[in-house]
Amino acid sequence: MLIFAYSGIFSPVKDNYPVKCIHEKLTGEPCVSCGLSHSFSLIIRGKIAEAYQWNIYGMRVFLFFALQLVIRIVFSFFYLKYPDTRKELIIFDIAGSVLIFLIAFFPFIRSISSGILG
Amino acid sequence: MEEKTNSTGQNLGIAALITAIITFVFAVIPCVGIIAIIPGIIAIVLASVGLSHASRNESPRGVLIAALIIGIVAVLISLSQIFVAGEIVKKTENKWSGEIREVIKQVQEDVLRDLEDASVSIKVESNGEKVEINTHLNRKDLLEELEELEELEEVNTEEDDTLQTEK
Repeated sequence: MLIFAYSGIFSPVKDNYPVKCIHEKLTGEPCVSCGLSHSFSLIIRGKIAEAYQWNIYGMRVFLFFALQLVIRIVFSFFYLKYPDTRKELIIFDIAGSVLIFLIAFFPFIRSISSGILG
Repeated sequence: MEEKTNSTGQNLGIAALITAIITFVFAVIPCVGIIAIIPGIIAIVLASVGLSHASRNESPRGVLIAALIIGIVAVLISLSQIFVAGEIVKKTENKWSGEIREVIKQVQEDVLRDLEDASVSIKVESNGEKVEINTHLNRKDLLEELEELEELEEVNTEEDDTLQTEK
């Protein structure tokens, strides 16, 4: 929810984002996640093609957060309605969330691992 | 009373787990990964305090241990971002030094080209006596002068020999 609020409040036209890329400040080179805020804001505003131009991985990360919001609501509903299956629900939730996380953040994980391994 | 302390440990565990998960997600994003160290440390502290409470009251520690592990892994990923940034800086440094080396080489070549036809004059004055030395760095002239000097030296050595025979 905070991510969506952040993307909605800050405008890509005004370029008034409070978070600047620390990686770029330190190295002087843009990183794999540069332009992610712009991309989120443009997705919220329905400008998908432009969002891809800002960051190619913006959509999949945005979908991760959107799916997490839906999953939280759905699982909370089942958690309250079926108290007997709570343990199974938690395991299913953790496994699903980890899988979605790995798919969404794979390019970032790959960039970190390639940076460490050289 | 015991229930209250147990719930305190559990509340700390939930708070630590949420902080640790958020930290983990942010730690993976390179732009903000370095900042994630701060909430990561907060998550570790919360989990540690909760664990100490839980061990005193013998309450369940599963959530607290999970929060502690996720928090530690998130902090390690954040620290690895610094390492990655350092590696990139190293790479760019090498690139810059190479460029600087090329510029220095170019400047050296330009200076040598300018000096090829340069002439130097040195004047020394001492007690009314004047000494003036003029020289130039034209390669052709220098070679000619060198040849002349060599010829003169040969002639001098021949003269020296004749002098020795006279003796």
